[in-house]
Order: sequence, then C-alpha cells, then structure tokens
Amino acid sequence: MTQVLATTVVVASLYALLAAGYVLVYRATRVLNLAQGDMMTLGGYFLFLVATSVPGQPVRAIAGAAALSALSGFLIYRLLMRPMAGHPIFAAVLVTVTLGILLRAAIVLVYTDRIRHPLGLLGLANPARPLIGGAVVSTFDLFTVGAAAALFAALFLFLRFSPLGIQMRAAGEKPLLASQRGINFHLVFALSWALAGFAGALAGSLYASNVRLDPSLGVLGLKAFAVALVGGLDSLGGVIPGALIVALVEVLSVRYGDPLLADVSPFLCLLAMLLVRPWGLFGTKEELERV
Amino acid sequence: MTSILELTLPLELENLEVVYHHVATAIQGVSLKVQPSSIVTLLGTNGAGKTTTLRAISGFLGADNAQIVGGRVLFNGRPVTGRRPHELVRRGLVLVPERDKVFETLTVQENLRALVPGWLAWRAGDRPRVRLDQVFEYFPLLADRRRQLAGYLSGGERQMLALATALLCRPAVLLVDELSLGLAPAVIERLMILVARLRDELGLAVLLVEQNAGAALAVADYGYVMEHGRIVYDGPRDRLLAHADVREFYLGVGHRAGRKSYTDVKQYRRRRRWF
Amino acid sequence: MARGGGYFKTTYAADLALVDTRLRRRALAAFVVALLVLPRVASPFILDLVAQTALAAIGALALNLLTGLAGQVSLGHAGFIAAGAFTTGVLIENGVRSPLVALPAAAVVGAVLGIVVGIPALRLKGLYLALGTLALHHVVLYACAEFQNHWGANTGVSIPPPAIGPWVLKGAVAWYYTLTLAAALVLALSVNLRRSRAGRAWMAIRDREIAAESVGIDVARYKVLAFVWSSAITAVAGGLFAYHRAFVSVEAFGFFLAVEYIAMIIIGGLGSALGAVLGAAFVTLLPHGLDALVAGLRLSGGAAYYLFPLKFGAFGLLMAVFLLFEPQGLVGIWRRVRNWFALWPLRYRPLRSAS
Repeated sequence: MTQVLATTVVVASLYALLAAGYVLVYRATRVLNLAQGDMMTLGGYFLFLVATSVPGQPVRAIAGAAALSALSGFLIYRLLMRPMAGHPIFAAVLVTVTLGILLRAAIVLVYTDRIRHPLGLLGLANPARPLIGGAVVSTFDLFTVGAAAALFAALFLFLRFSPLGIQMRAAGEKPLLASQRGINFHLVFALSWALAGFAGALAGSLYASNVRLDPSLGVLGLKAFAVALVGGLDSLGGVIPGALIVALVEVLSVRYGDPLLADVSPFLCLLAMLLVRPWGLFGTKEELERV
Repeated sequence: MTSILELTLPLELENLEVVYHHVATAIQGVSLKVQPSSIVTLLGTNGAGKTTTLRAISGFLGADNAQIVGGRVLFNGRPVTGRRPHELVRRGLVLVPERDKVFETLTVQENLRALVPGWLAWRAGDRPRVRLDQVFEYFPLLADRRRQLAGYLSGGERQMLALATALLCRPAVLLVDELSLGLAPAVIERLMILVARLRDELGLAVLLVEQNAGAALAVADYGYVMEHGRIVYDGPRDRLLAHADVREFYLGVGHRAGRKSYTDVKQYRRRRRWF
Repeated sequence: MARGGGYFKTTYAADLALVDTRLRRRALAAFVVALLVLPRVASPFILDLVAQTALAAIGALALNLLTGLAGQVSLGHAGFIAAGAFTTGVLIENGVRSPLVALPAAAVVGAVLGIVVGIPALRLKGLYLALGTLALHHVVLYACAEFQNHWGANTGVSIPPPAIGPWVLKGAVAWYYTLTLAAALVLALSVNLRRSRAGRAWMAIRDREIAAESVGIDVARYKVLAFVWSSAITAVAGGLFAYHRAFVSVEAFGFFLAVEYIAMIIIGGLGSALGAVLGAAFVTLLPHGLDALVAGLRLSGGAAYYLFPLKFGAFGLLMAVFLLFEPQGLVGIWRRVRNWFALWPLRYRPLRSAS
C-alpha cells in the first residue's frame, strides 16, 4: 500500500514537471505545445551532451542542460511560433506537432536511437532507498519529487508576486492590451517558452538519469497532457491534483490490470474529465469558449 | 521663440492616409494638432474613421491588415510612424482602448503593478514620475477595491482602472478611445472631469475620441469633426458649440426642416468635393 | 448550349453541374483516360504507388469532411482507420471472409464510433476537441491491442486477399483499379456532400457556430452527422487498408498516422476536395521521392542509416513550411497559378506602401 502511494507520488512528480510546461505555454500563448514531450527528450540529450564534455560533475551538467533547454525554448518561440501569430490556434498547435517530429528526427540523426544511460557519465549512483512503511524508491525518484516541489513553489511565487510574472499573466490574458501598456508580449511569450523548456529539461534530465534515455521518451509527454487537462489547462495549481489522480490511476492499473491498460489509463482519465467537466478541476469555464 | 514652441507639439498628424486590405481607404489626409496640456477631441459617427486614426497613431494597424500609405505621425516633433506599440508606450504615447481595457483575471492591484514604474523608467526620460498613491488619489474607488479581480468591476470602474494603468505608464500624450461608451451620463461626467483634472494637474495632452460630442466638448479645448475618413471641421470649443451643423448632428439641439443627415447639408458635400 | 466561362451562369443546370466549363470537362476526361491507360504503360511499382495514394485520398477526403468542412478538429483519425481495419480482421478471424460483409461492417462500426465520439464532442471545441479525439485514438488502439493479444498474435494478423465468389482480388493492376475507383466514388460523394444541405450546414457551423444556430441549423445534429460520415468513410478506408496490406497490426496506426492525415489536408489545402487528393498524393509520394533522391546521390554505406530520420524530419519540415508560409496549401498555389493565367497580362497590384 505504501509502495503504491510512494510510486504514485514519484510518477506524479514527473508528470507535474512535464505538465507545468504545457500550462506555462498555454497560459501565455493559448497554444497547446504537443512537442513538450520531445522538449523533455531534448533536455535529456542536452544532459548527455554536457555530461560527455564535463564528466563527473552532475550539478554543472544539469545546470548546463537546463540552460540549453531554456535557450532552445526561447529560439523555438522566436523562429517557429512567433510567425504563427494571427494564424488559427489549431495551425499553431500543428506547428508544435511538426516541431516534435523535427526534434525527434534531429536527435536520432545526432545520437542514433540507441538507449543511453547518462547516470554513469555524471559519476553518480542511484541506490534504492527504503522509506518508512516499507516502500522503496530510488534516489533519483526522491530528486524528482524535490525538483517538482521546488519548481512549483518557485513558479507560484514568480507568477503571483514578481512584476515579470504578473506581466506574463497579463500578456496571456490580453496580448493587445499588454502591448498598449508597454509590455513586449513577444518577449514575455518567449520567456514562457523558455520556462517550459527549463521544466522539460528538469524532467528529461531526471528521467534520463533515473531510468534511461532514448529518442522516444516523448510519449511520456502525451500522458502528461492528460494531467494538464485533468487539472485544467490554464491552472498551474491544478497540475498537482491532476498529476496525482492520473498517476494513481496508472499505478493501480499496473498493479491490478495489465501494462496495456496502464498505458492508456491517462487517456481514460482525460476522456472522463472531458465528459464530466471539460475545463478541468481548477480551470476556468470560459476557457472552453476561447479556443 | 513662440514658433519653436509650436514646432514641438506633443502630437501632430500630417496628411495621414490609411488603407485597409490594400484597397479600402479608411482615412484620407487627416491632419490634427494636440497642444501641450490640452484636451483635443475628435468627434464623428460610427465608421467616420476615428478609431482607425487612433490605431494609426498607436501602431496597431498591422493586426487588421491595414497600412499607413501616406503622411506621418509626429510625437514631440519626431516622426514615429509605424513604430511598434509597446515602444510607443514606453516613449509616453499611451492609449486607453475602447474595449478590453483591463486584465480581468488579475486583481486591481496586479493590474496596476503590472506596470511597475521602475520597469518603464529606462526610457521615461524627463517625464514626471507617477506614483501609486497619486493614482489612488485620483481614483479613490480603486484603492478600496485593490484586492478584487478586475473582471468583477463595473463599466465605470473598469474605465477608471484603465485610465489609472494608462497613467502609470507615464504618458506625455494620452489617447482615449470612446471614454463614454456604454456608461451612464452621471459616470461620464465624472470621468470627463477626471480627465480635465489630469490635464490641469499633470499637464497631460489628451486626444479624446468620442461619439458623445456633448460630454467631450464639455471639457475639450479644441475639437475636430470627422466624416467619411476626413476632417471636415475644426475649431476651438466655443466655435464648435456655436456651429449650426455640429449643434444639429452631434449635439442634437436645433432643427432645420427636411435635413435628415449631415450628408444632406450642402456645406459638407462641397467640402468633400474639395479634398 | 451556352459556353459558360464558369463565372456567369444562365441556367440552373449550369449552376448544378459538377464540372462547369468545357475546359474542365476536357481536363477531367483526359485525366480519366490517363488513369485507365496507366496500367498498360507503367510498372507495377508505379501502379502500387497510385493505389496507395488513392487509399490515402479516401482517408484524407473523409477527414476533410470533418475538419475542412465542418471545422471539427480531429487528431483521432488513425483510430477510426484502425477501427475499420480491425473490424475486418476480427471478422476474418471469425470466418467471415467476404469483403461484401466486412466493408459494410467496417462502415457501421465507424458510424457507431462516430456517434460515440460525436455526441460528447458537442461540448468541446477547438483544442479541447483535438485532445479528446487524440485520447479516443489511444483508447481505440488499446481495444485493438487487446484484440491482438487475444488472438495470441502479438505481431498482428494476416488477411487473405478479398474474394467475391470465384473472383479474387490480387495483383497490382487489380488493386490499382479497385482503389482508384473507390477513391473516385468517395471523391464524388464528398463533392456532392459539400453541395448538399448538410454540407452547407457544416460550412456555416465551421465559420460561426452561433450564427449557424440562429439561422435554424441544428448544430448538434449536423456535428454528429459530420462525425458519422467522416468516420464511416474512414473505417471503410481502414478495411481496404487491411486487405491491401494483407496484414493488420496495432503498430501501423500510431499517432504519427493521424498526423500524416492531418498533414495531407493541411498541405493540400483545408476544406477543398482537390486539396485532400493532392495532399494525399504529396504525403504518400514524399518518402518514395526522398528514397529516389538518396539512391540517385549514391551516398556511402552509412547514409542508409540516416535515411529514416531524414525522411521523418523532411516530412515535419515540409508540414511546418506549409503551415507557416502557405496556409492555403497546394490548392492555394494552384489557384494562384490559375488566376495568374486567367488575368494575364493584367495583375492585381496593391497600393503603394508608405515605407
């Protein structure tokens, strides 16, 4: 039982890291970034890249990967998404789909589709840790939970209290008015993409160190968008309960069902949510009309 | 000496011409001047080209597939035609839009804080600093509601919040689009008096675009009348108030038999042919 | 007999005609003749490519009905195809081998699935609808995967060639004729649907739902109808796909297939039947074109390895290029070329800009 709870929290943390990226980009630009999963993979490979050039220095490697990912999020907005301003939102969403394809193709071109384990390059071990109540998790599982908690606390403070965070919320609601108030909303949007890249890199680095790294990790991203939707696409706070629910259902279906069912369970949660409360647990109802 | 002062007007339009979708001319040869520390009103009915003029000044034409094809906009004597909106705001040319004027998902306080003075200071130049308590002094109502979401404010309160956030951008010129839209006469009067106070106490130059000519001319120093994309008449407040056509078609006082619309009036027809 | 220019119509018959000018009639006749003659001159490989294009065109036309005309975005198209293919597969596993049963059964399953998706979809719009259909795609695939496990065949099920009585559909030429004919029928159906009451209602809903409702269109009914038509046709395409491949497996119906179909109607030009066909041809032929290109370049040994990601990337890049620079798709290019010839030597010239 405690093992189920522990696993749920760990899986939920990973999903929450990924879903934070969806929500950040969605709130700012109203675009659902279907490439978030591939941005996570990219983050993992950035970790691999940095770890190969400076082996044995985990902190520098993760910081480097996060910085590179944030930069690539910024560039993605500048090069791909900004030209889509004024086009239908669905077209912009499709651009993110093609972005996912391009990222995956680029990763396979450079690194082939071999499975990698950057953990050894970082010079770290990943021993199992028993918790109270008999549950066992790995060390990086704990790091994942910690990273998710830290990221959400930081994002909450940033969006609630910092001028830039308030500007980000403002520009997300009414870009036109924001620019009439002297906010360069393109810059703010690019920043939200950079933050999404950063969150993706955290998820990617941790998953790559904890489990493995291969170009098809992006599939996890599709599951995490179920998380974002269950919590409410425009609600960062909703991500946490959303992630816990989806993770719990998934963990239970692994335990009592079969792996095929577990793979599809996030989507069943999503469908159930869409039927009962399409705007999600903490989302706003008006959001349905906006897109 | 006076001539130099006249040259550096806060805002001046020279023969501005805007075309939508490459084919439809919306405004033609529009020239107007806004003197420092004065309220200038631009009057006209729906579709006269008032909002297009405002958008041309504030750099918002691109979104509607419109273009400035002639003339220029001078701000403090420097041409700013075609600059990006947020740059214009940072230079002190601030618009209070007609609709969508507050961030509804933010609280009043956050609406005001999104424009932290320090953030804009680097280009503010020598414009006077506007502090938050100063704003609350003008709009005491907002101070009471600072924790409320702006989405719950009434129309008049929203307009006040919009004016307040515009003030925090440290405007040199304030462009106001349809201040009176959808508001009760008593509220309009209070808002107009507020705008007049801003002019007198902060020395703001205001371009007030209005359909409600009566309310606008109550506080304006000078007025332009716009029809079919052209300026057809202009003059100081008293001259406009005395003008027979303005009285009949914009103020609704006076009546001359058989004339249903301004297009029936000879003087306007002649003016249109002249341009 | 009036020789219309296509712009001014003098009779109702001219207005109703599908092919309205003489030039178009001749072009169409020439195209049909070319299709009929092709098997005599082309290699089986080329015929197979055309057949694959025709098959893809059926799916693309069906998606175009839903997304292009009715404006209901669907990321779950691959799920409908899988449903059709697996209906055929399940029937064959149970001893029903006739395509005369399997294909209508696929259509019925598709239609039912369309209702199942369409009714909840009434509450959803835009992005949320896209996500809902995407989730549904995964659920359908899950059901198919369970079936596949149930058969004990983890890799998939092979399908015998379809036979009606003594007549067995086999060989590139027979498939070429069958699939081209099927595509032509679906094309005619979708062009006619567009001109029907339902088609006009769909376009009204696409353009502005509230306005459509206020002129008396039963929005709910027509939205569900769009889902039903689209998914029924798609499921038939799935059944044909199963027969043509002679093999059914879940792996063939991933998210990427849905993206490919969306790419077809985007690259072709949203809302246009011609666009759907052009897009289907483009997306089907692109990988083969790249193959030929690489073969022509005669790169050294390692290059073959890079071919897959390169093809994959080129596909993504082309889709992005179309979305960014040519939102009207191939049909948009075609219209511009046509207008250029129609207007020559005159040209629309925009007014001079200030800069």
